[in-house]
Amino acid sequence: MTNTSSMQTGYAAKKKAVNTLIYVILSIMVLIWIFPIVWLVLASFSGDGITTGLVPTKFTFDNYIRLAQDHDKDGHVYAPEDMPFPYFKWILNTFIVAVLSCVISTLIILMVSYAFSRLRFKSRKTFLNLGLILGMFPGFMSMAATYNIMEIFGLKQNLFALVIVYSAGAGLGYQVAKGFFDTIPRSLDEAAKIDGATRNQIFWIIILPLSKPIIVYTALTTFIGPWADYIFVSYFMKDNSDSYTIALGLYRMIGQETMNEYFTVFCAGAVLIAIPITILFVIMQRFYVAGVTGGAVKG
Amino acid sequence: MDFLDYAQLTTGQKISYKIKSFFTGIPGAIAAIFAAIGRFFKGIFTWIGKGIGGYGSRFAKGDAGTKASYLIMGAGNILHGQIGKGLCFLAVEVAYFMFMINFGWSYITKIYGMNVQVDDNTIVSGVIGTQPPIYDVDPLFGAKTVTNLDTLDDSNKVLLFFVMTIIVSIAFFAVYITNTKSAFATQEIIAEGKKPIGFIDELKMFLDERFHVTMLIIPVLGLLVFTVLPIIFTIFMAFTNYDKEHQPPGNMYWWVGFKNFADVFYSNPDKSATFGKILVWTLVWAVFATFTNYIFGIILALMINKKEIKFKAFWRTMFVVTAAVPQFVTLLICKLLLADGGPINTTLMSMGMNAIPFLSNADYARVTVIVVNMWVGIPYTMLITSGLLMNIPEDLYESARIDGANAFQQFTKITFPYIFFVTTPYLITTFVGNINNFNVIYFLTGGGPSPASYYKAGQTDLLVTWLYKLTTVSSDFNLAAVIGIIVFVICAAGSLITFNMSKASKNEEEFS
Amino acid sequence: MVSKTKRVLAMILTGMMAASALAGCTPTETTEGGGTNSTAASATESAAAGDGASKAAGGEVQDIEAMTDNIKAKMKEEAAATGGKISLTFWCASDDRKFEKSRIEEFKKKYGGDGYEFDISVKAAFGEGEAGGKILESPKDGADVFNFADDQLSTLVESKAIAPVIELFNSNVVANNSEETVSAYQIDGVPYAFPKTSDNGYFLYYDKRVYPTEADVANLDDMIKKAAENNKNVYFNIGNGWYNAAFYFSAGVTIKYENGKQTTTFNTDEGFNAAKAMCHVAENAGKGFVGTDGGSGDNSAVAKGFKDGSLAAAVIGTWEGPAIKEAIGADNVGAAKLPTALIAGEQKQLHSFGGYKLIGVNQFTKYPVTSQTLAYFLSNTESQIARYKERGLIPTDLKALEDKDIQSDPARKAISDQQPFSHGQGSSVGGKYWSTNVGGFGGEIVTKKGKISDDELKKSLQSIQTQIDT
Repeated sequence: MTNTSSMQTGYAAKKKAVNTLIYVILSIMVLIWIFPIVWLVLASFSGDGITTGLVPTKFTFDNYIRLAQDHDKDGHVYAPEDMPFPYFKWILNTFIVAVLSCVISTLIILMVSYAFSRLRFKSRKTFLNLGLILGMFPGFMSMAATYNIMEIFGLKQNLFALVIVYSAGAGLGYQVAKGFFDTIPRSLDEAAKIDGATRNQIFWIIILPLSKPIIVYTALTTFIGPWADYIFVSYFMKDNSDSYTIALGLYRMIGQETMNEYFTVFCAGAVLIAIPITILFVIMQRFYVAGVTGGAVKG
Repeated sequence: MDFLDYAQLTTGQKISYKIKSFFTGIPGAIAAIFAAIGRFFKGIFTWIGKGIGGYGSRFAKGDAGTKASYLIMGAGNILHGQIGKGLCFLAVEVAYFMFMINFGWSYITKIYGMNVQVDDNTIVSGVIGTQPPIYDVDPLFGAKTVTNLDTLDDSNKVLLFFVMTIIVSIAFFAVYITNTKSAFATQEIIAEGKKPIGFIDELKMFLDERFHVTMLIIPVLGLLVFTVLPIIFTIFMAFTNYDKEHQPPGNMYWWVGFKNFADVFYSNPDKSATFGKILVWTLVWAVFATFTNYIFGIILALMINKKEIKFKAFWRTMFVVTAAVPQFVTLLICKLLLADGGPINTTLMSMGMNAIPFLSNADYARVTVIVVNMWVGIPYTMLITSGLLMNIPEDLYESARIDGANAFQQFTKITFPYIFFVTTPYLITTFVGNINNFNVIYFLTGGGPSPASYYKAGQTDLLVTWLYKLTTVSSDFNLAAVIGIIVFVICAAGSLITFNMSKASKNEEEFS
Repeated sequence: MVSKTKRVLAMILTGMMAASALAGCTPTETTEGGGTNSTAASATESAAAGDGASKAAGGEVQDIEAMTDNIKAKMKEEAAATGGKISLTFWCASDDRKFEKSRIEEFKKKYGGDGYEFDISVKAAFGEGEAGGKILESPKDGADVFNFADDQLSTLVESKAIAPVIELFNSNVVANNSEETVSAYQIDGVPYAFPKTSDNGYFLYYDKRVYPTEADVANLDDMIKKAAENNKNVYFNIGNGWYNAAFYFSAGVTIKYENGKQTTTFNTDEGFNAAKAMCHVAENAGKGFVGTDGGSGDNSAVAKGFKDGSLAAAVIGTWEGPAIKEAIGADNVGAAKLPTALIAGEQKQLHSFGGYKLIGVNQFTKYPVTSQTLAYFLSNTESQIARYKERGLIPTDLKALEDKDIQSDPARKAISDQQPFSHGQGSSVGGKYWSTNVGGFGGEIVTKKGKISDDELKKSLQSIQTQIDT
């Protein structure tokens, strides 16, 4: 009826306009999202102490140096064991906790979601409902009781207590992984069963290799958790600053008495831990997206 | 209407259908919940009835071995030739009695201490623990010390060990019943002239027919000890007077029934008024926080994943960076930026504008926390939706294109239903997560501003942050436990209603 | 009643000293006999031997030096229960750690002995502001000896988490401190802590370039006017119950904490006058007056404000002193008692909380006497002078205050000028006071720039009052 080519150019122009609009929106959003981060990075190089302006007036590396070798107000360098904020020790603590709880939690989550997704047994529904119900209690409501239990196990103010707390509850976080397992066709299991495979073998040989993306996703989230948790660490570690993890340690830096002196050091510390986690995120994310597209078999 | 019919609707119809079915479904869902609760209890009673019946009839029909297993666990299995399994049962019995004699029983007797001298001139019944701290003065220096620090009953410990004993006993009872069943089952197998299954073969079942047990045993044990046990403990705490004036080990606390609940709901005007206001705000917050993140997260993911948009990885990374920096850091930075005298307001004022009380005025603060929460949460939704978008079978689009559907129709017909369908459980968890969202409120406003009429709370406090303050600042542990239970009931009721109504729970295998 | 008990204890104690010195055997063995045998004569002897500075609030001053051997013997006894090692934990603020550590070395030198050794770990995890709360979280896991601010005392006592001070040390503390100081660490006449510094209250810091003479800082209204003229502000965080109590006290509101009970008279004409006075000041919010911490929950606004030139004066305490000095230069820093404010039509001197930082001993420590000795040592005259020299913290000890440097410190002068108008926190406010949002009400006044109807003011005051009464 009408001139197809003009319609096509009209369509193309509209499309281009839409895309341009999307680019503009995305750019504005990125600016908003990135602004606090940029400010954090700027503050970490600030020589002004606690900053009032958007851009610092003096730039220095001192804040970063102080993370490794701190000095008091008169410039006397602290001995390593006297450092008020032993940043790298806390990083190491967090790393240990993160790795251990990542491994344990990922295993637990995979086990639970596999059982609920692929296996059928008598009390499955009951367990699913119980799991949902338990997940609805506020996480730190029973913190004090958990602390007492740790004391019984001799894990008071111990890093392993954190590992246990982070991974014991992991079984409740099965929904996402279960959703993923649900999308893997059951015909695969049936075929393997006919070939004489046990459910154990099916899990290891057939399901796990198909589950790379969800394993990565689960590992990622459980690894990141300890880097950001403040509540449990502060309740569990109390005065044992040798066993602090980084979130609590950094938070202590900007307590009432030290806020003025340590704010920019805090920023430097935050930037330093954000860098590896961000890189991890970015690498994992590529892997994650590729994994999701490549790994799932469509029925 | 099944999913296929539903998928044919336009987006508008779909949404109105969803909304309509949501509200028309509420009474039904509530009724269904009560029916389910009713069925649950009915089920329990029939189960118990059957259990007792079965227990008796098995004993009546049992041979000597089976009968013996009613007293000595595993005896039946051993006599029927299943020695390994029988010994396991026996070991459980021995261990349980050792536990009870050496440990458990004393805490059952201590859970309701009669006439305990809790203070110089106060004697109370119903105290948790029987041995109060004894204060003594050392004669030379006059230092006042607790002389029985190692032997006194710390109410916390007594209550905890009591709960532990109960859980262990229930678990033991389950094993005990299994033991009688197992003894009887082997007896019947032998009566049929077959040989009972060997120990090794039985163990092998845990890799196949009973693989779910293998998979779940460790997670369930972990949950039992580190989640269920503490939760039950905390629920009990709500019925005690455990506050700063009754704090162990220097003091003991005791049972007060439903007094704390009465305080929160009506009998203490300050607490109940605060509770009402915080409850309303918590719900408003949860709805806004969930849906703003959800909708804008999906829109963002769609924009980034639009075919023609370049530098996808770059855009995604930019947003992911904000998610990678630990939340408390970014939130504290936001708080600093938004403070009355912070950089943003200083800049505004230097440009001749008025300062905005982002955090110090209640109305502004409430909007601020929701907006900042979008800043925090949208990247996550974006990431998850991006993953889902990749997961949509390409052939669905293929056939849609063949049918002549344009991009918008593809979105409304395929993309959105798929995402909505798959993310309904995610939506529920996010909603529950937002009711429990501690970080954004605590680090941003700390709950403030706090007018005089609030009991230990502020105008942006959620129930959970109030709970936290009650625990860590004012040592109102019992009140905190009550709030915890209420939060649970809200989350449970809300999500059971939506979950029962959402198709996701019914058709979980449809997309396979 | 209580002081009577103390006196009896003192008598027993002095009797013991004599008995153990004569018998030469361990104190505990002679206790039963020796204690009851003690005579009034020996008590009077010891009183005569003392410097006669004892006050009504305490018993006879006892000679700690003379008791050193007994203390050491007791330390040995306490150490024996844990294998000859005295493992103590001490909490202090992170910036105090170095100094406290050096004092603890002195303590070890003085009280070290055969058969036991000290293992004192100084943890800078919790400063005075939060130590009390952290002790309460789990008293048994708390430090044996800890520093805390006096506002936490009542809660610690209610939970029985803090040990009463033994008479041997208390009699000395009473002798060396003013009555105000003594009342700050006593509850119902029982001493619970050792006073360490007297500067946990607030007064006025100002920029001398804006207010060259003391007369310029006499009146709050004038100060705000002058600040506004200079495009600066006066900072007075009345959105905080600790600071805005200044108005209530001045208006004549009763705020008292006795026998574990909080009494206040907020819902009265005086309370209303105080609220009105705050409204009057808050009208200037944004134009010469900053009335809240901006939601930051800390005092960072003060250092920031002086640094960027937006503040001319602040109602704050010594903890911000160094930061203010750094911001505007030590020569420009002035300190004075609080100004007067317009309350019910007349200018009235603003009152304040005269805060103290205290050292407490955990009730559940395994080493009660060792811990108390350490706490006393860290709060004695010598330690307080050293603390001033190293850390700039103002002593409580009357002898320490005579030190020349301390005498000429402007902050010390401001504190002592404010002293007559200051109230001890321990005897004024208990935990309940803080849970009533007195501060939130002040914050509301500032946010609304004082535009609140009289009815609403009264309603809020009534609400505060009911919260305290129930």
